[in-house]
Amino acid sequence: MLFERSSDDRVIAGVCGGIAARLAVDATLVRLVFAILALAGGAGILVYLALWIYARGRRALPAAALFAVASAAILFALGLSGTALLGATLLVAGLVTVLAAGGSLRPGGSLPRLGVALLLAGAVIFLGRRGASGGFLAPGAVAGALLLVVGPWVWQLTVERTERIRLEERAEVAARIHDSVLQTLALIQRHAGDSARVATIARRQERELRGWLYGSGVADVESVVTALGEAAADVEELHGVPIELASAGDVALDDRTRQLVLAAREAMTNAAKFSGAAEIAVYAEVGAEAVSVFVRDRGSGFDRATVTPDRRGIAESIEGRLERAGGTATIVSAPQSGTEVELRLPRRGS
Amino acid sequence: MKRRVVLVDDHELFRAGVRGEIATSVDIVGEAGTVAEAVPLIRELDPEVVLLDVHLPDGGGEGVIAGVTQERPAVKFLALSVSDAAEDVIGVIRAGARGYVTKTISGAELEDAIERVAQGDAVFSPRLAGFVLDAFRAGEPLGGDSELDSLTPREREVLQLIARGYRYKEIAARLHLSIKTVEAHVSSVLRKLQLSSRHELSRWAQQRRLV
Repeated sequence: MLFERSSDDRVIAGVCGGIAARLAVDATLVRLVFAILALAGGAGILVYLALWIYARGRRALPAAALFAVASAAILFALGLSGTALLGATLLVAGLVTVLAAGGSLRPGGSLPRLGVALLLAGAVIFLGRRGASGGFLAPGAVAGALLLVVGPWVWQLTVERTERIRLEERAEVAARIHDSVLQTLALIQRHAGDSARVATIARRQERELRGWLYGSGVADVESVVTALGEAAADVEELHGVPIELASAGDVALDDRTRQLVLAAREAMTNAAKFSGAAEIAVYAEVGAEAVSVFVRDRGSGFDRATVTPDRRGIAESIEGRLERAGGTATIVSAPQSGTEVELRLPRRGS
Repeated sequence: MKRRVVLVDDHELFRAGVRGEIATSVDIVGEAGTVAEAVPLIRELDPEVVLLDVHLPDGGGEGVIAGVTQERPAVKFLALSVSDAAEDVIGVIRAGARGYVTKTISGAELEDAIERVAQGDAVFSPRLAGFVLDAFRAGEPLGGDSELDSLTPREREVLQLIARGYRYKEIAARLHLSIKTVEAHVSSVLRKLQLSSRHELSRWAQQRRLV
């Protein structure tokens, strides 16, 4: 529907109020436009009646007829010729197109291009006739009316848009701070006695905040490095061992690289649980041929021969997973010299 | 003989923390919180090493380096930052810092890094090593001076091990080199990082956060 008659903002039948609400402009402006049009051979009154009829019963035909008469009245008042008629027709067609396509003059609303183009063409032709027809007042009035409608809208558009962006940004920052920083501070207060836990919580928060401040800003795009960062943060939080992540290059996460990240996570978990190392280093390198992840600790290390086959962590979660994805896992470890797990996944097509 | 160190960081709390951790093994002769304070202070005290925050209220650590090196070329700078933004790190290294470590570094490691920098070596954190490998990507000719604009396979190997969390001693053992040779490779990478004329480097650093 084009508009609803306004029940609370009305002088006669609420038509102006309704249009104003639809276009999100002040009703006085719309009334002013109608008043100016009314001067043009009473066209404003006819248009008002047409809109009223249309809004009451959705009867398009009588409304259209009245519109035609109104247009004729305007044209007559302007003393315009065929060219002007074309312009006026284009104007009306443009308006109808815009409104029928659900276009809105409200800032941020969509405006169908065809409608706008018709409106512009109509306005150019229509106002271009001014010199030839000699009468300045009426075309001037129409131009003024257009200006009255469009001017505030343009102004509103810019002001509201910047305002809205600012508000959205502030809301985002507030939400972020609330979800993360404030929650973390509360957690820290609760665990004030447990320094290891406090350190872990603070580290995780730092990582998150840093990711947000210096990160890509495109939170939806998951990459190998961001996924590794998340995995590292999780493991760190679960087991209280700091994990340092370095990387060269990055690539989007897909099914295969996801397996790589999961295997790396398992390697981090093993290092955190069994090695006794004070920290774990993770390095991801995305090269032309392969994606490699190294998980290293300086902990106790282990002898592969002494690990019972039923310990599924290494065989299944790391090696098996990488093999299924088409990669290889190499584990270098010796008692007392720490462990390094190298995960290598060739890039598809190479 | 303790190393004479000046601490430049705008966070009093952080300076106090660092002081508490390393004051027994180094001699902290002065502290500053801004570029304007730091430059005359360093010129006057002529320390061996300056621990330099990348971000200062009246400019970056780069400003401090620029204000000091002319008059006191022997002063070594070690950048200390919470920022992981590549352009910050690359920027301060190119301005002349001998190394970059993150602020979460342990006291013992920081002491080690200060000593290393004081001796004229370079100190790369794993993260910085990753950045550098990324910037000097293999198989991408950078144009210009080819010697400065690419890493040798050995340098690449050393950097990769640093990124993987290896210490110089461990790298030396693994590659069957002396520690001095490892240090020489890292210093050579630092020189390339500082002198390479490639615009790619700064552009890379800038783009990195947008990718």
